[in-house]
Amino acid sequence: MNVSALDQELFAAVIHAMPSDELSPVRNQAANQFSSLGFPTTRDEDWKYTNLSAAAEISNAWLRNRMDAAAATPSLPPPEVARPEILNQMDAHWLIIRNGSIDSSSLAELQNSLGPDIEFSKLSEQTDSTHINIDDPMSAMNAALLIDGLRLQVGANVEVSKPLGILQIDDPSQQASQIRIVIDLGENSRLQVIECALSADSGMQFSNAVTEASLARAATLEFVRIQTRSEQHIGVNRLIASLARDATLRHNAFDFGGALTRNDISVNIAGENAAAHLHGLYLASGKQHIDNHTRVEHRVGPAISNEEYRGVLNGRSRGVFNGQAVVFEGADGTDANQANHNLLLSDHAEIDTKPELEIYADDVKCSHGATVGQLDESSLFYLRSRGLDQDTARHLLTQAFAAGILAKLAVEESRNYLVDILDRRLSEVLDAG
Amino acid sequence: MTNILEVKNLQARIAGNTILNGLDLTVRAGEVHAIMGPNGSGKSTLAQVIAGHADYEVLGGSVTYMGKDLLELEPEERAREGVFLGFQYPVEIPGVNNAYLLKAAVNAKRRHNGQEEIDAFEFLKIARERMALLGMDASFLNRGVNEGFSGGEKKRNEILQMAMLEPTLAILDETDSGLDIDALKAVANGVNALRDPERAIVLVTHYQRLLDYIEPDHVHVLSKGKIIRSGDKTLALELENRGYEWVQEAASA
Ligand SMILES: Nc1ncnc2c1ncn2[C@@H]1O[C@H](COP(=O)(O)OP(=O)(O)OP(=O)(O)O)[C@@H](O)[C@H]1O
Ligand SMILES: [Mg+2]
Repeated sequence: MNVSALDQELFAAVIHAMPSDELSPVRNQAANQFSSLGFPTTRDEDWKYTNLSAAAEISNAWLRNRMDAAAATPSLPPPEVARPEILNQMDAHWLIIRNGSIDSSSLAELQNSLGPDIEFSKLSEQTDSTHINIDDPMSAMNAALLIDGLRLQVGANVEVSKPLGILQIDDPSQQASQIRIVIDLGENSRLQVIECALSADSGMQFSNAVTEASLARAATLEFVRIQTRSEQHIGVNRLIASLARDATLRHNAFDFGGALTRNDISVNIAGENAAAHLHGLYLASGKQHIDNHTRVEHRVGPAISNEEYRGVLNGRSRGVFNGQAVVFEGADGTDANQANHNLLLSDHAEIDTKPELEIYADDVKCSHGATVGQLDESSLFYLRSRGLDQDTARHLLTQAFAAGILAKLAVEESRNYLVDILDRRLSEVLDAG
Repeated sequence: MTNILEVKNLQARIAGNTILNGLDLTVRAGEVHAIMGPNGSGKSTLAQVIAGHADYEVLGGSVTYMGKDLLELEPEERAREGVFLGFQYPVEIPGVNNAYLLKAAVNAKRRHNGQEEIDAFEFLKIARERMALLGMDASFLNRGVNEGFSGGEKKRNEILQMAMLEPTLAILDETDSGLDIDALKAVANGVNALRDPERAIVLVTHYQRLLDYIEPDHVHVLSKGKIIRSGDKTLALELENRGYEWVQEAASA
């Protein structure tokens, strides 16, 4: 049961105090939408296992702070912050989004270096804002409280040579942030994105991010998201993607941190021969909670969707996987595969996994499967019989399990960094028990 | 000659079934022993107990290796001390690189002996040499441990690990089963290369043909969890001709 709700009065006051800009009409509409929907509760089938009441509490505190801050000091320049070390570890053009607001200087820098390949703008500064999705409660909350939002457009036939890096970093003092990224890929274009979500420090935080991607004919989007938030962070991340004919989406979700993380991915296969590849890896220990919800709608065929999520759960952590594939009437030639594999390393860890297929077409190939298991005892013994100690053997076998997802990595430039943090995080998760 | 392995009155069970019923076996430095016996008599059980598999519960007796109580040691400690088990059924471990495991195994032993870790270049050189001796293509180094290996390839891989680890006591559990003639010779070469006055080898086998290539000093018959007869290499020939019944009858008489 969800006990907390957003303080409506505060919410209205904060919306009212937001600057008047291009986003204003959307904010108002989204605010109305959110006011009527409210935070999802565990009575909603889609949120059965994931309770956002703590996020509501954090949000109320944040709204209160915003009102107080607005009254006291109207516009203090943001403090100078050091360039995070992570930016040097991957070869990418970086954009920093701090506490939900886009760093203007890094945006200008990006626009310079990526020249005409990508056109960057802030949603708060652009006129056409019709495509901002506010359908579900969290997207509505996101739009209502959005400070700026990023829009990037890649022209037809443009292959962006270097990955775009998006660093989402939050300070706990700010408590909550809304991030929106809208990506438009022109026909036959290609973009790679490495998104890193992290916390500047420990402390209660709530981030609510929405990414909308529209892939025109034969466009390719390769997207790697690496989440290493602090252990008190609550993150809700939504991806809404639409694929035209021959378009390809490769998406990787690596979730290593956070207290509670909810990823919602919706893919709309709207054109023939489109392909969606969704791969995710989650590692959790302690009381971490990680929930992956995916929904792929095959509206036309032939088209492919491949999905595999793997999880390593230790301690009292909890994983949730819900993968829906819907094949609409007439979407013949659909090939939809879905798998979720879990390693449960402790008796107290838990996974709720539910692959769901809804098929209304005749000529389709669909598969789905889920496994839950422990480290293989005979493999462990084999390694130990060769002189490897138990910890090393466990680490190796867990790494081997995770390697299945690394093999599907969509952006090569993120590999070294990923392998490195995966290794460290695995050790922590295995040690934590 | 020093005793490398001394098993005394060993009793062990798995899943509530007592499999070893007071087994005695002494293996001295420089010797090759062959253990034969009907299916289910406890040969692999003995091998697994010596390697330290936790599913097997030792109910009584002792296992002494180089003067130490082997049963006190963790499986990895036994390995580092120089005990090697070639598995009857080597497991496939996809995602763990074969070369990585070989090197980690070699280094675990070296560290244990206070030696420096092996240089990567040196390691590859030695590994390639030993693979050539076993008729293994170097590409097996880059595959997952036993992943997709054929039965014979798995057995060769076991022998490769043995060749790299240079154990003091090697127990090879039916390493000869399922091998073609060339592989059998390659495996025998690997084992014979290891023969040394300081080491000992225990071969578990069903077939005389392995013993044509690796001549044993002692042959034992294991039946119902006990060694019921021991002899020299001629015992193996006799078993080949007459089967086990006569030995079992003589033992129960
Ligand atoms: N996990 C287990 N649960 C119950 N019984 C077991 C288990 N493992 C082994 N056994 C039994 O122990 C007995 C001895 O098995 P073992 O593998 O040692 O035989 P073996 O002599 O190696 O036979 P083979 O020549 O067929 O390899 C068999 O009867 C077997 O069924
Ligand atoms: Mg056996």
